[in-house]
Amino acid sequence: MAPVTLSHRRTHNLLLISKLLSLRDSASPLTLLLDSLEQPATPLIQEYLRRAKLSKAHVTLIAFETLKQPEGVDAFVSARRKSAGDIFKEVGAAYQPAAATNPSRRHLIIIDSINPLLNSKRADPGFHLPSFLSSFLAPTSPSAPKAGASLVVTYHQDVPETPPQNPYSPAPLSVLTYLATSIITLHSFAHILAQKAARDRSLAAPVFGLDEEQDGVLLGRSDKLVGTRTAEGIVLELEHRRKSGRGVLEWYLLPPESRYSPQQVKEVVTLLDDNPLYNPPTEPDRDAGDEEPAIDQGDGPGEGGRILYDMGEEDDFDEEEDEI
Amino acid sequence: MPSQPPLPPLLTPYLSTFPQSSLTLVTSILDATGNWLVLRFLHAALSTSASSNTAFGAEGLHNGTKKKVVFVSFVRSWEFWRTEAKRLGLDLARLADKQQFAFIDGLSELFYTPQAAHATPGVSPAGLGSTPRAILPLRSQPGAVPGRLPAPASTTEGGSTATPGQAELGIARKLHLYGRGTAALDALEKDIVSVIDQQRASMAEDEELLLIVDQPDLLLAATGPSMGIGATEMAEWHVHATVLTLAADSPLIHNASTSGGHPAPPIETEHAAFTIGLAHRARSVLQLRNLETGAARDVSGVLRISRGGGWSTGEEDGLEEKDVLYFIQRDGGVRVFGRGES
Repeated sequence: MAPVTLSHRRTHNLLLISKLLSLRDSASPLTLLLDSLEQPATPLIQEYLRRAKLSKAHVTLIAFETLKQPEGVDAFVSARRKSAGDIFKEVGAAYQPAAATNPSRRHLIIIDSINPLLNSKRADPGFHLPSFLSSFLAPTSPSAPKAGASLVVTYHQDVPETPPQNPYSPAPLSVLTYLATSIITLHSFAHILAQKAARDRSLAAPVFGLDEEQDGVLLGRSDKLVGTRTAEGIVLELEHRRKSGRGVLEWYLLPPESRYSPQQVKEVVTLLDDNPLYNPPTEPDRDAGDEEPAIDQGDGPGEGGRILYDMGEEDDFDEEEDEI
Repeated sequence: MPSQPPLPPLLTPYLSTFPQSSLTLVTSILDATGNWLVLRFLHAALSTSASSNTAFGAEGLHNGTKKKVVFVSFVRSWEFWRTEAKRLGLDLARLADKQQFAFIDGLSELFYTPQAAHATPGVSPAGLGSTPRAILPLRSQPGAVPGRLPAPASTTEGGSTATPGQAELGIARKLHLYGRGTAALDALEKDIVSVIDQQRASMAEDEELLLIVDQPDLLLAATGPSMGIGATEMAEWHVHATVLTLAADSPLIHNASTSGGHPAPPIETEHAAFTIGLAHRARSVLQLRNLETGAARDVSGVLRISRGGGWSTGEEDGLEEKDVLYFIQRDGGVRVFGRGES
């Protein structure tokens, strides 16, 4: 790829992910996080919480799985055994006081796992996923504050879905991916590296965890994959749909939390292509502009053969010290 | 072969420290059962408190936190656990007497409709209907009656009721499943929570309570969708700091995806959803499996310790992931070692 387009892409897409994770300009009202046991979404949720704290946004966590209120969450709504309608009411009630004091405050709603809601046996027949999700985003009453709410929904890809009651309705995952304005699929960096290494040698890519289909193996993730001890962090595969309808696809790397301070404002996410482990630099930068040494062809016999060399800055040549 | 210490040194850190409201998942397969691991959990939690009662400060190994255990078993009887624990030098009956330990029997009377007088107050007797009369002439079960009293009774009351006797001693409660759907699970939960509360009532400040549930997936298999109990309903049920054992045989996990156009049978789907869903919540997942290369004389299986989806990034070095071999000796002792070591 030409260097110009890469730097172009870098600027644009880093700005995009920064905007998405920091909820700026309500860039993505509904973000879908597709995770698996091999790479849970927890670190990314932490990153959302960290940024929300920096920008002083109000965070509501709708907890189907989480038992304790995590740090950085302003309103904790346990969704255990509750119907969709009740959850919606509770979220509204929890947000009300915050909205009353500061209506322009951004509002982040995180659903820690949507699977229980989709697979519940008790689902009332009136439950409609699109209207449930959009009810959070669009305030129903006109008097409600017009603060931009963003919804971040985690979906565990490896939890099988129960067959739908109505065979003609689309699968919940299809509905979710259709509705979402951004979809972030999470991968373990170590696995991505292992798969790339195999691909580079034209080998079949290795699989991990449940995909191994080995008796008794649920998780294959391990920090100690051979030779990749430093391969920490998670890989985000982003698909963002712009308002215009044009999609953006990009792969990012989110470093582990310990690598940066919780107060850091500068973007921590990098492009996956920029990572030296994923894309090892082929040669040092200095050589990039250099050419083969030119040889003086000479005018006649006996002449020429000298190497022509234009001295550059980096040669640090001192006329007085080194005489040719 | 030399006898082994009851707690394999390699595993001690994983067996004895649990953060508040964390879930530890133990998955086993048919060829590599998790009983020995459950016993080690019991030992790690109970032996310290036993020793600190007799000789105070005998061991500095376990951070000095005392633990109480509530143990719910769905597929194995009290007799089994008592005998096996004895081989480890753990007297469960005595510990139950001292209220360090409470055993909840989910096996013997789970589907045995109890007498009307025993009905859990919270549950409407809708599912009971006309059955109680037929049950009355049978021998009375001592476990259930004292359980209704506020006192942590059955150990003290067990002798006074005439029948079964010794084997019943130490069983805090027997679970009964009736009704359908969440109401049935709620009733079970209520029973378990009441025992937990009894334990908690007699707890000192610095004591921790550990709940161990052995194979609750039985409920999924035994009830099924017609009862309105699915993976989601089951998973909602576990809201305590818990060690949970589940089966993870590949038919139960990998048949869930629809292959060849055939929809997967409900039990496979539900079981896979249950197990994987819980692994997403668990802080750590201990997976037992066979040796890939086949049977060996001196290896019983492989234990993989991984962080689950509920592991929080806050505790950076709290849990090291490992893949180790184990061998169960004839005397019940277990040796745990890394690959290539012996």
